[in-house]
Amino acid sequence: MLSLALILIACIYFPGVIVKVKAIFSGRKGPGILQPWRDISRLLRKGSVYSTSSSFVFQIGAPVYFSTVIIAALFVPFEENTALFSFTGDFVLFAYLLGLGRFLIILSALDVSSGFEGMGANREAFYSMLIEPAFFILLGSLAMFTGYTSFHDIFANLHYDNYFSIIIAILAGYILANITLVETSRLPVDDPLTHLELTMVHEVMVLDHSGFDLAIIKTANNIKFVLFSTLSANCFIPQSLDLSVRIGIFLILQVMFATGIGWLESFRARNKMAMNAQYILSVSAIAMILVFVVIIIKNRI
Amino acid sequence: MLITLFKAALLVSFGIFVVPKKWKYALALTVNVFLVFSTGSWAIDVLVNGTQKIALDISTWSGPVELEIDRLSAYFILIINTICFCGILYAGGYLRPYLPKKRSVFISLHLFSFIWLHGAMLLVTSLRDGIAFLLAWELMSLFSFVLVIFEAQKESTLKTGINYLLQMHLSFALIMISFLIAANQTGHLGFSGVAEYFQRNNNAPLFLLFFTGFGIKAGFIPLHSWLPRAHPAAPSHVSGVMSGVMIKMGIYGIFRMVSLLQNDLMTIGVIVLAVGVVSGLMGVIMAIMQHDLKKLLAYHSIENIGIIGMGIGVGIIGRAVGDDVLMILGLAGALLHNLNHALFKSLLFFTAGNVFYSTHSVNMDGLGGLVKNMRYTSAAFLVGALAISGIPPFNGFISEFLIYSGVLHHLPQATFWMALVAVTTTLGLVLIGGLCIYCFTKAFGMTFLGSRRQEQHHVVNEVPPIMLAPAALLIISIMAIGLRSAFFGNLMLNILEQLTSVSTKNFSAEILGSLAMVSNINILLIIILVVVYSVKAWRQRYVEVWQGPTWGCGYTAGDYRHQYTPTSYADSLRQLVNPLIDYTRHYKSFDEKEIFPQPKSFTTESKDLIEEKTVLSWVHLMVKYLPKAGVAQSGLINHYLIYPLLFLAILGLLTILNVI
Repeated sequence: MLSLALILIACIYFPGVIVKVKAIFSGRKGPGILQPWRDISRLLRKGSVYSTSSSFVFQIGAPVYFSTVIIAALFVPFEENTALFSFTGDFVLFAYLLGLGRFLIILSALDVSSGFEGMGANREAFYSMLIEPAFFILLGSLAMFTGYTSFHDIFANLHYDNYFSIIIAILAGYILANITLVETSRLPVDDPLTHLELTMVHEVMVLDHSGFDLAIIKTANNIKFVLFSTLSANCFIPQSLDLSVRIGIFLILQVMFATGIGWLESFRARNKMAMNAQYILSVSAIAMILVFVVIIIKNRI
Repeated sequence: MLITLFKAALLVSFGIFVVPKKWKYALALTVNVFLVFSTGSWAIDVLVNGTQKIALDISTWSGPVELEIDRLSAYFILIINTICFCGILYAGGYLRPYLPKKRSVFISLHLFSFIWLHGAMLLVTSLRDGIAFLLAWELMSLFSFVLVIFEAQKESTLKTGINYLLQMHLSFALIMISFLIAANQTGHLGFSGVAEYFQRNNNAPLFLLFFTGFGIKAGFIPLHSWLPRAHPAAPSHVSGVMSGVMIKMGIYGIFRMVSLLQNDLMTIGVIVLAVGVVSGLMGVIMAIMQHDLKKLLAYHSIENIGIIGMGIGVGIIGRAVGDDVLMILGLAGALLHNLNHALFKSLLFFTAGNVFYSTHSVNMDGLGGLVKNMRYTSAAFLVGALAISGIPPFNGFISEFLIYSGVLHHLPQATFWMALVAVTTTLGLVLIGGLCIYCFTKAFGMTFLGSRRQEQHHVVNEVPPIMLAPAALLIISIMAIGLRSAFFGNLMLNILEQLTSVSTKNFSAEILGSLAMVSNINILLIIILVVVYSVKAWRQRYVEVWQGPTWGCGYTAGDYRHQYTPTSYADSLRQLVNPLIDYTRHYKSFDEKEIFPQPKSFTTESKDLIEEKTVLSWVHLMVKYLPKAGVAQSGLINHYLIYPLLFLAILGLLTILNVI
């Protein structure tokens, strides 16, 4: 339960930090840290407009997306502190649950018969298909490295006991960070702040959502963001320290992660759309390198 | 008692030809129910109590024929019965528009073949004697051929049917040769002979011959070319049964052979795994390129057969390296996926049939927006689409999860090569899963969502309840597997314990624990979803909710023609996999001097490159060069007399040279 509490705490400031950092880099003062949540609570109080061409699929799309992310949050451990669910191969279910949410949100986008949203839906389906292998190869090689096959056991036994293993920490952290960026539709794959619908991915899919639906989609996105950054934080925190120190490191790491994303989004331009496939596949390729590193370290060759 | 009922049902089926037209369907349904009842009770009895042998009063030259039902047979019998019952129920609605148009004898022939296809499949799973097995196999092919050519007035359907018949006989010939090779050495024609042969010889050659023969039926790439033609040509209840269970008879044969294997396990396992991965990936990639909904589903059968093949391959490799957990989990995943695929694929074919029934089209380029007119059909298709993409809380996830867990379980002690096997399997499953989501968001989105992509000429209505009843039955089964997966996992372990004689006692608790956990999480997911949805409904009572046009991003002239089409949706993937598919566009751009533009058309097509290279290129060569042999057919009797003389001369020469 500790992991869930930590995730929720990190959720509170994570999106705000990104916005704040971006504002500071562009020379503005920026809104308060809690502004993204104020926006969401305002959305919750608003009414909704539904497209005349939408159907029951559109009605259940956002709730399903939200529910799957909530359930997924119950899987993510904080080092040796067990998540609510932990069993052999739990990360397979984790990834497929997120797939369910994605499936429904893509269908909601196709439901409103808009060419723009079709475009976003198509790209989301395509990019998520390409990034999925990286996640599985990463977790597979970590399973091989630690000898365990569930989120909790893997992260609880991720001892970097020799110098070579530092490579694993760096590679795994890098891959997870990239997966986070793709899964949550951030730069360099997708620019959440662009105002040109033709170049959006995630944002254009939810154009026709409003009020309650939009609020829970935004909430789910924020939680999803923190889920993945928690996974990468798990690769970096040394196990030997005190629990309170580790919690402190975790919270600071989250701030650093958010700052990093804000920094990235301030100084980097979005990829050309045609380049995205290559970019995402390269993440899977790096994950393959990790497999071979593990094979070499474990002396299996 | 039950055997008499079984025989009586098959005999009564001849009555379909005699009774008046309006009673034919009722009689067929009754016969079906009797078949289901008699064999279903055997099967359940076997699953509870153990193997049964039932004597049929028929003899071949190798002795009296017995029906032998072990747990594997019982499991397949239950699958066959479920899908065939749903199929005949569905046919009741689907055939209705054909009744006035078709002659009475054709209707009888169709229903009669349906019953006998059902019967033949039941016999295939329970006969062990070679001759009897081959006879049942042949009956299955013949009756399914009759079912495929239901609309034989169309030339393309007839051509497809003949293509199907030929390929099935190739499959038959390969299986027969394999049985004969085994019988030649051991003296037993049948599965016992094969078992003996496997004990004495290298297994790989004979197994691969069997694998090719059964693989044609199952539709492994590159033996698949009949499948994407026959399924769309057949009426939907037949496609559902063929795709749902008939191709599984190939898998049944492979399972039997796998249980008899003794050596060469690594070679065989790697080959089966490789064929599985290729089938899975190519199947789903080709599916994404299709415009025809039923053809898309047909390619998905190849993809799912690929997943089953991957499970079997992993299982054999597990046995080769002596890891019982990997073996049992791989095979259990494959075995459960048989049932899962049967359920959701027939559901999808039935709902695609509903679309055809109401709109007279399965071309997705012209469909769209059906969700408003066909609410139940689209909900059923959505369940099928989610299940086939392997997404929880539905059944497809459970079988894929079993294969994943097997591979993961082996990873900690994996050697270099086993790590490669694990990576290949995982990559294959993950990519297939991702591509499936891509494909079924396309299939569902383009067919049911948005607005109609071509102008409508008639009103579209929901289909009659009898066509929705089988869908409801299938959805209940799909949900049952998703939410009670430990029960089905236990069933798989029981079947495999008997088949492979490996005790699962040491690890069954862990596997079933994981499955129970998955199911509990699925239930929790549904509960949370209900809660979130109720909160939404409660919130929206206090705020203003209204309907408006889709937001056009400032462009107000957009209409239904601006939506994404199946072709444009598939385009981003198409660019990535272009070398694997032969993709062509046909269109003519506007001429500079064309002052009054003529109507333009734009079509795209993608060819099955594997079929082109492996099957059609040989056919083209034969079509080109074989006619040249016609020179010999001169029509002169003196020429024809020379030929035997030449033959005898060559024979004599070869004998003198001691060649023969």
